[in-house]
Amino acid sequence: MTLQIELSGVNKYYGAFHALKNIDLAIEKGTFVALVGPSGCGKSTLLRSLAGLESISTGDLRIAGDLMNNVPPRKRDVAMVFQTYALYPHMTVEQNLTYSLRIRGASKVEMKKAAAEVAATTGLSELLGRYPRELSGGQRQRVAMSRAIIRNPKAFLFDEPLSNLDAALRVHMRKEIRMLHDRLGATSVYVTHDQVEAMTMADHVVVMRDGIIEQQGRPLDLYDRPANKFVAGFIGSPAMNFIPATVGQDGLSLIVHVGEPQTIVMDRALEPGRSVFAGLRPEHLHAADAGEGTFRFPVGIVETTGSATYISTATTPEITIVDTTRRSIRSGDVIELSIRPSDVHVFDAETGMRL
Amino acid sequence: MSEMMRNRLMLAIALILAAIYLFPLYWMYITALKTGSAMFATPPQFWPSDPQWHIYGDVWQSRNMGRYLGNSLVIAFGAVSLICVLGVGCAYVLARYRNVWVDIGLFLILMLQVLPASLMITPIFVGFSQIGLLASPRFAVILAIAAKSMPFFVVLVRATFMSVPQELEEAALVDGNSRIGAFWHIVLPLARNGILVSAILIFMQAFGEFVYSKSIIQAVELQPASVGLNSFMGPNTNEWNNIMAYATMYVTPILAIFVLLQRRIVSGLTSGALK
Amino acid sequence: MKRFLSSITDGKGFDILLVAFPLGYLFLMSGLPLLYNVLMSFQEVDMFSLGTFWRPFVGLKNYRDLFAQPETLPILYNTGIFVVASIAGQFLLGFGLALFFWTNFPGASWLRGLFLVSWVMPGLVVGAIWNWILSGDFGVLNFLLRESGIIEGNIFWRSDPDFSLWAVILANIWLGMAFNMILLSVGLSAIPKDLFEAAELDGANAFQRFWTITLPMMRSSIGAIISLGLIFTLQQFDLFAAITSGGPNNSSNVTQYWAWDLSFRQYDFAKGATISVIMIVFVMFASVVYVRSTRHEVRG
Repeated sequence: MTLQIELSGVNKYYGAFHALKNIDLAIEKGTFVALVGPSGCGKSTLLRSLAGLESISTGDLRIAGDLMNNVPPRKRDVAMVFQTYALYPHMTVEQNLTYSLRIRGASKVEMKKAAAEVAATTGLSELLGRYPRELSGGQRQRVAMSRAIIRNPKAFLFDEPLSNLDAALRVHMRKEIRMLHDRLGATSVYVTHDQVEAMTMADHVVVMRDGIIEQQGRPLDLYDRPANKFVAGFIGSPAMNFIPATVGQDGLSLIVHVGEPQTIVMDRALEPGRSVFAGLRPEHLHAADAGEGTFRFPVGIVETTGSATYISTATTPEITIVDTTRRSIRSGDVIELSIRPSDVHVFDAETGMRL
Repeated sequence: MSEMMRNRLMLAIALILAAIYLFPLYWMYITALKTGSAMFATPPQFWPSDPQWHIYGDVWQSRNMGRYLGNSLVIAFGAVSLICVLGVGCAYVLARYRNVWVDIGLFLILMLQVLPASLMITPIFVGFSQIGLLASPRFAVILAIAAKSMPFFVVLVRATFMSVPQELEEAALVDGNSRIGAFWHIVLPLARNGILVSAILIFMQAFGEFVYSKSIIQAVELQPASVGLNSFMGPNTNEWNNIMAYATMYVTPILAIFVLLQRRIVSGLTSGALK
Repeated sequence: MKRFLSSITDGKGFDILLVAFPLGYLFLMSGLPLLYNVLMSFQEVDMFSLGTFWRPFVGLKNYRDLFAQPETLPILYNTGIFVVASIAGQFLLGFGLALFFWTNFPGASWLRGLFLVSWVMPGLVVGAIWNWILSGDFGVLNFLLRESGIIEGNIFWRSDPDFSLWAVILANIWLGMAFNMILLSVGLSAIPKDLFEAAELDGANAFQRFWTITLPMMRSSIGAIISLGLIFTLQQFDLFAAITSGGPNNSSNVTQYWAWDLSFRQYDFAKGATISVIMIVFVMFASVVYVRSTRHEVRG
């Protein structure tokens, strides 16, 4: 197990503002890591620190085992794909690709050969003579990636590369990027605010908020066992429902306070009387036949996309349900729902930690 | 080097560079205050040992500065008024549309901007004398300056108008305004700041104009301060403290306005000049 | 008729009117004089025929006489030197300052504006100040040069034929440097910052980034600024009037000052017009270059 990227105890301050707080991150060679989180959580700062475009205040940063704290970006041998692609507008695609080789003094023959090889992998062979302004968004994206690939770097860093593309193209490029990563055996760090991208592309997901890592692990681990309320609400779409609740006196039931109090029987013991949030994913709430459900809620808004129906209840807090059975439900109806006890997440009302 | 130290160092260097660059201005101010002998001292004094504050009053009186500056103001205000009246509307139309005619118009205007006054003065003078305009020389100068500076004004103000979203004007039209009304009540007020800054720039240029004034205005009572200064300085002139005092009183109002509005002026220039 | 009147308040008529008056004015006050210049250069003009329009037509005589005069070639040569030296000085110093302020330390943008002071001052005042600074015996420039060991005796900037042109060039560089700096700063800030980050990650050091990214992307800015510099330098008159008046003995005379001198000192309006025509052709050429370079932009 080789650690390609390692951060230990990394802190970054912008003047008085504490942007990165005690970051510990270990990335093995060949892994695809996604950094997700809301705006301002520090994910881009972390990525740029890896590149050397920002300095870190304390802590150690190692790439392929070497300490990189004070090494300037051009010596770190990492490649970055920028959100705006940052293609050199005054150079052709081929010149863009070979720029890094030109800087190191490679011969014209070498450069041409390398460019042709990479262009073949990413499907840019026809476009080598064009200028960036003549390319479409998806093509520019591929040029940006090819420019990184040609360098054979120790790590690929992606800074929200797909956010400027339309939805359909984004889905397509997600797959392309992941395939490229696999084919090259590369180590990639991918920043995005879109948790779907993170979940579908990454081997290892790191969820950040306000400069700290809230949780990191395999995508499904974060989905099944979120460590706190924030991660639970961030991962999964539509977002998890949070309902204020109290643990029953027997320690085995949850009394949820929405509309009239309703009780869920749990499959594990909890501290009696504790105030908590019950976390229920919309896709885990199943419509039950009359009389068999755990909950009864009045229905507010019903939206159908054809493949799924999104039901919002007319309660406080509003609860979202995803139903795929094409059951006929209308606004104003009363819906009965059931949920498996193992699917009920419980979070402490004050700390938000998983119980 | 830490970032804060680097910033301090850059600031220090910048201040030194600014000081070097502004030295001539400083020299003007202290030369005015020097006594006759201090002026010609070797090594030259870098700080007047005996500042002659009364020199300002003396020069004002003896060189009739009140009259000269009054003429400069008349000419400058006249030119700016004329330019604004003609130029604002022109800039508005050129900002609103983008077609072949507008391109031609802009091109012509740019071309007319480049003609040096010292070359245009010959036909202008001859032409003016033929139609008798030389009888009201300050008015003639106003006309000439207006033609010279209007292209620059139009370019700057056009950039201002282009930053006013067309949707606002369209909303005004839908709300029942005529084109004139929309222009007058909606677009113009929004462009007011840009127009003001451009007008101030033009004013400063007209206030210091020399070629046209010297060539067209023969009567001394009607000459502006720039010509007054020039008549002060012959090839063997000696009274540099007086000359500098004159220059100080001539230039300080402009400098004061500039320092106050410096930010606005720079941003006005940068948005308009390179287009 | 009613249609036209209503279109004034509400349609095309409004626009046309707004443009017609200014353009008409410009045509009258700038276009006609231009043509008149050309006309006069082909005529024989003297004090008595100033009032009339139809003067004797003499064809190219004025042009031939002009080039037969001994001072013509040296003055053209001076103009060339003046233009090249001024533009070079203003551009290089302006670019240096622009790069310095581009690092954007706190206070940079405010300080940068201070340099523009030279541009709003009347040219004559700038000339007067520099006249005094360049004074042979008592000017402070000579003092500073002597103290720092650069020269031994005083240079008589204004009265020495070898130096008189350079006196004006010096003042002109001071005058125009800041304008160059501001425009170049605009060009520099237009370059997206992430291009430099990408280049840095690709392995380029500061000098390589300047050479392969900054300069090529500034190409159209630099073209525009140099042609603007040419246009403004050819317009420079006040400094000559204030410092040397073209002397001594035409050693600091340039075409734009000479044209005025011929008309208003020597009352040879025809010759004045002739030079004007030649110069205007030059200036028009420069402005065509300017317009073309501002149209050609490199977009990302």
